Amino acid sequence: MIGRNLVVTPPPHLKQRDAVAHAMRDVALALVPVTLVAFYFFRLNAVIMWVLCVGAAVLTEIVVRPMLGQKPQIGNMSAVVTGWLLALCFSPTTAWWTAVIGAILAVGVAKELMGGLGWNWFNPALFGRVVPVVLAPLFSWIGPVLSSTRFRFAMADVMSQATPLAMLKGRDLAGAPTPVDLLTAYPGGALGEVSALALIAGGLYLMLRKHISWRIPAGMIATVFVLTLVLGRYPVHQVLSGGLLLAAFFMATDWVTAPVTGNGRLIFGIAIGVLVVLFRVFGAPPEGVGFSVLLMNPTAHWIDRMTRPKLFGQK
Amino acid sequence: MSVKTFTRGGVHPPEHKEPTAGSPIREIPPAPEMVVPLSQHTGAPCEATVAVGDRVMAGQKIGDSEAFISAPVHSPVSGTVKAIEMRRVFTGAMVRCVVIAPDEHQEQAAQTERRDWRALAPDEIRSIVRQAGIVGLGGAAFPASVKIAPPKDKPIDSVIINGCECEPFLTCDQALMLLRPDDLIEATRLLIKVVGARRGYIGIELNKPDAIELLASKLKEDPEICVVRCEVKYPEGAEKQLIKAVLDREVPPGKLPSEVGALVHNVGTALAILDAVAQGTTLTRRVVTVTGAVARPGNLEVRVGTPVSHLIEQCGGFAGQPGKVILGGPMTGWAIEDLGVPVQKGTSGVVVLTREYMDAHPTLACVRCGKCVEVCPMGLMPNMIGIYAERGRYDDAEKWNAMDCFECGACAYVCPSKRPLVDCVRKSKQAINEKHRRQREAKS
Repeated sequence: MIGRNLVVTPPPHLKQRDAVAHAMRDVALALVPVTLVAFYFFRLNAVIMWVLCVGAAVLTEIVVRPMLGQKPQIGNMSAVVTGWLLALCFSPTTAWWTAVIGAILAVGVAKELMGGLGWNWFNPALFGRVVPVVLAPLFSWIGPVLSSTRFRFAMADVMSQATPLAMLKGRDLAGAPTPVDLLTAYPGGALGEVSALALIAGGLYLMLRKHISWRIPAGMIATVFVLTLVLGRYPVHQVLSGGLLLAAFFMATDWVTAPVTGNGRLIFGIAIGVLVVLFRVFGAPPEGVGFSVLLMNPTAHWIDRMTRPKLFGQK
Repeated sequence: MSVKTFTRGGVHPPEHKEPTAGSPIREIPPAPEMVVPLSQHTGAPCEATVAVGDRVMAGQKIGDSEAFISAPVHSPVSGTVKAIEMRRVFTGAMVRCVVIAPDEHQEQAAQTERRDWRALAPDEIRSIVRQAGIVGLGGAAFPASVKIAPPKDKPIDSVIINGCECEPFLTCDQALMLLRPDDLIEATRLLIKVVGARRGYIGIELNKPDAIELLASKLKEDPEICVVRCEVKYPEGAEKQLIKAVLDREVPPGKLPSEVGALVHNVGTALAILDAVAQGTTLTRRVVTVTGAVARPGNLEVRVGTPVSHLIEQCGGFAGQPGKVILGGPMTGWAIEDLGVPVQKGTSGVVVLTREYMDAHPTLACVRCGKCVEVCPMGLMPNMIGIYAERGRYDDAEKWNAMDCFECGACAYVCPSKRPLVDCVRKSKQAINEKHRRQREAKS
């Protein structure tokens, strides 16, 4: 009875069907509502932004992985999700080449050069969103060069208004959208900030599917709400605008760059919330939330060590 | 009635118990060649007490050891010893085995007459259990005589019979509970007496309502023993988790259940102890669930030493193309390559999985999803152990408590990167044990 080519692997021999690819697919699904709202408000600009970011992210992975001697991993959809999230971080008026540079940096540098999915220190999408801003002088020649050639890509004339956060800066609610506007749909800021409800729906879906824990979003949102309430800075507006929900549900919860312990996740969320409020109180760069998450990302491993669960039976 | 469970971690794998649940126990004849390993238990291996060419009786001792943690081995059949040689067993290792060709008479070795265990002193009972070669039948195969001899300074107040059978596919304990409920209660009383406990509990998962109902009706208003309904959650039947569920006590890391006054025995083990004490039998048979992709799944009463191929033949052969044959349950059992390996005392099942169950996804890097941390019933961080073990950094794996893992496999079950976490733990434990051994040698 030998020679039946029986498979011998260590236990367990039953495994949950869910693989990384399923989780990524679910994240993409969770992003559909907010993306559709963005497409509705910003029309072609939003669609082009999405196509550029996702396309550049996927292409970067296809090109970079073989250069690093790695097998392709397009099947796990990680690059698609990174590009997609990146697109949602940009405003519809962002120059197209900024988006492309962002996608290349996100996948090429933040993810693949760090060792690939699982080894990255920073959330790739936020890295791709923020680094081009920090390195703006490096890229300052690109705009003029492109506009001097025949190769142009008009990204103007969109229906976009001042971001709600910018309006709040003057500590005056006149002209600012109401919480109901922000909750349902309001075309201000980035693609991923157009509807709080759509983001919440996506976040709840991911929690329901057990891909993300409630702890990080809850810690973040509660901290921002309470601190801005104490500081008298329109807590409801603060929570519903400026990409806070996008970051709370989709960026800070990024598996690789967040702690894995329960308490660690709560602490991580609270710390990001504190940073967000600091950024917003002492100046409000549009990338405040992004910076906050990126600042906390490298602390994830350390927080894990500090919050190791108690061993069974340990006093 | 309240439902009990352990509080931390746990998973819910598909149960797959339907093919054999409630099916009666069917005895199968011996195979033309019986292969009895001389080491079927945790502890020191036995030396053969017979020689090639000897005629042996069924139930006769054929291997024994002087060591405290060991259990003698008995012949499952009457016949002739054909060889004493190294044979492959389910772990893939080569183990010295007594190979016996059964004869047609199937003579039993002389048995003692029925005994009343109530008239026996605890030490007499321990000696009988030792001589009968009884080990834990749930899978770990720890010598039962050692377990029922707890240290004097650790009094035991509670005996727990483990009827959880939380491994998917397996139903042999359920079948035994349904077939011999009175004997199981009797066995519980015996164990209570041996260790001087006050209470007995029979823990059963809710997915065996027939067994719960039957035993509960017999134990209505019993002053000593009660049935504990346990949530269907893996690994409910792990020793420490069951103690937590039933008594709400946590066995400290690195300690035994006696530390918290508990003794846990599996249903099959308890019955084997009763049989040995009351009827003088030795452990040469056990119930094995043969299920999955076989033509006629069922619970078989099998002589220890029967090759797995014989069990599969007795169940009508494979149904479809087998991908994996597992000895034990699918969460903790061993995949075997050679169907000639024998059933041992600790073999609770033969589960045949088709290729559909094989891993379709490649192993990826840890993506730090934290699911393994959530489901670990021991409060470990399997992700860290896995990452360090993969790089051969076993000192670090030790710092992340690899030694406290009992290899339930919940972490690897949920891992979306399909990482071989149990394998990582095993390699870590091996390296850590080796290191400690070298350190001890260096000191002495």
